[in-house]
Amino acid sequence: MNTYDLIIVGAGPGGSVTAKTAAENGLKTVFFERGRKPGEKNSSGCGLGPRMFRDFPDLMKDLTPDKCPSMREGRASRNYFINKDDVVAGYIMARPTESVSYEPAKSWITMNVYRSEFDPWIAKFATEAGAELKTSTLIVDLLKENGKVCGVIDEKGQKYRAPIVIGADGVISMVAQKSGLRLKWTQNQVTLVPQYDFYAPSDKIDDIMGDETLGIWWGSTFPSSYQVFFRESFHQGLGNWMNWWDKNPLYYLNRVINLNYYQRLLKILEAKPRELQAHLLPWLDYPYNTHTDGVILIGDAGGFPCPLEAEGIYPAMVTGKIAAEVAAEAISSGDFTKDSLKKFDERWKNTSIGEEFEVGSELWTIWKALPFSPNETMSWFVPMIMEILGGIFDWSQPHAKRVRQIVSHMRSYMPKATPFVMKYVFPLVAKIFEDDLDKLMDPKKIMKVLPKILNMLPQKKKKRGGQEK
Amino acid sequence: MKIDIEGLTKRVPGTGDFISINYLKCNNCERCLFVCVMNLWRKKEGKIYLTDDYQNKCLECAACFQVCDAGAIMFKYPAGGTGIVIEKG
Repeated sequence: MNTYDLIIVGAGPGGSVTAKTAAENGLKTVFFERGRKPGEKNSSGCGLGPRMFRDFPDLMKDLTPDKCPSMREGRASRNYFINKDDVVAGYIMARPTESVSYEPAKSWITMNVYRSEFDPWIAKFATEAGAELKTSTLIVDLLKENGKVCGVIDEKGQKYRAPIVIGADGVISMVAQKSGLRLKWTQNQVTLVPQYDFYAPSDKIDDIMGDETLGIWWGSTFPSSYQVFFRESFHQGLGNWMNWWDKNPLYYLNRVINLNYYQRLLKILEAKPRELQAHLLPWLDYPYNTHTDGVILIGDAGGFPCPLEAEGIYPAMVTGKIAAEVAAEAISSGDFTKDSLKKFDERWKNTSIGEEFEVGSELWTIWKALPFSPNETMSWFVPMIMEILGGIFDWSQPHAKRVRQIVSHMRSYMPKATPFVMKYVFPLVAKIFEDDLDKLMDPKKIMKVLPKILNMLPQKKKKRGGQEK
Repeated sequence: MKIDIEGLTKRVPGTGDFISINYLKCNNCERCLFVCVMNLWRKKEGKIYLTDDYQNKCLECAACFQVCDAGAIMFKYPAGGTGIVIEKG
């Protein structure tokens, strides 16, 4: 029997930060990885968010290209808008704006790095702090005595004993299943994400993309697709909830690849497909059932990816650190009950992650309604947004007439846009500003005002010009 | 460019069986057929089945397990150190 203070199932970034924190708190800690090394079984977009660098500065300052050669900063994002005919109708390039408040967020939007490099890199901090890493080890069950969790069992029947087990084992979490916290989430709480990795020469990416090395392809015939550039490669992937797919997910991913625009990009980048990956990604409006007697779930296993865009690594690190601290306190007090471990929930709710989930339901809902509903919403949203952003850059008519044309055409989107704004945008805005906007945005009031606003728009050209008196 | 997905994944052999179907529970909803990226679930003469070579093609995403509301699909990860190797994730 191997006896520890703390057992962590999973050696992704969440498991590793848990193990590091636990070891630094003096706990005899072991963490398990089913692959031959951390990261071998994991795929992500994978752009790291700036909050990781703000909240884990000692760790992240060590992330350098000599340790993770795939690194590339996503300094600017390029947002492509694709219409229902699979034509790129326009795009917006954006870099961090003036209101962004800290470094490195002022300098870049994402730090792009492969999981195959990042995960082993971050696991090393845990082992250096004294945690024991067991690789090529699949944990298949929880060890229980008198119904209480007291460790884990690997596939060979080897037992490992500890009073607390942390589930850092991803969306299909053995720890969640065996502890009774959940068998699986519902179909609209989990997304399926297929992803290609393309090789492309580094100098081609530099020349063609510059520092616009994060791409979002907002499609009308496929769920929005992300593109993340690394030093000499890029990922192209997309996802949607389990109950959305009516065809093989690759059919939709290949629609992105087969865009004429995309094919041209592949050609000039001299890009070649190199790897195909698929993974499940939890996408909840609010995490629940995160702990029970002797068990805490963190990261993806706990349902912590961002409710808007599913950033997963940072929430895994934050919740992992908190779980280790709560475990250390439980070990000091000798109380491993659910009631004692509820401190985990109290603390993550008080972090940047908790603040995100305060608006979780509204964010989740609008993402579902917009990029995850290509046919229903994006098919009119894309031409509408391009009418506003792109319509003005046109000299087919006198400019004033052109503006009137655009405004007039915008009216045709109102039957779809108005209910959308009322159903999805107003509740979000009201929640974000937490004030009387609920009253202000009373749908009845809106419906009184809206027709008046529309009537103010010019119906037809009046006599204009310098001659008029 | 049409992408040929054959050969785009590396594996360590020796996974053993890690997916199975319980026909007492399967209700033929076919959701597994839709979500399997590698098209490893098929239907023949009204019966859903998993292709024989799934151990050499599965991406280990567990979508089939997740999507099966009937609870008919069993999934456990392959033996430690075997199965898919993601080098560029």
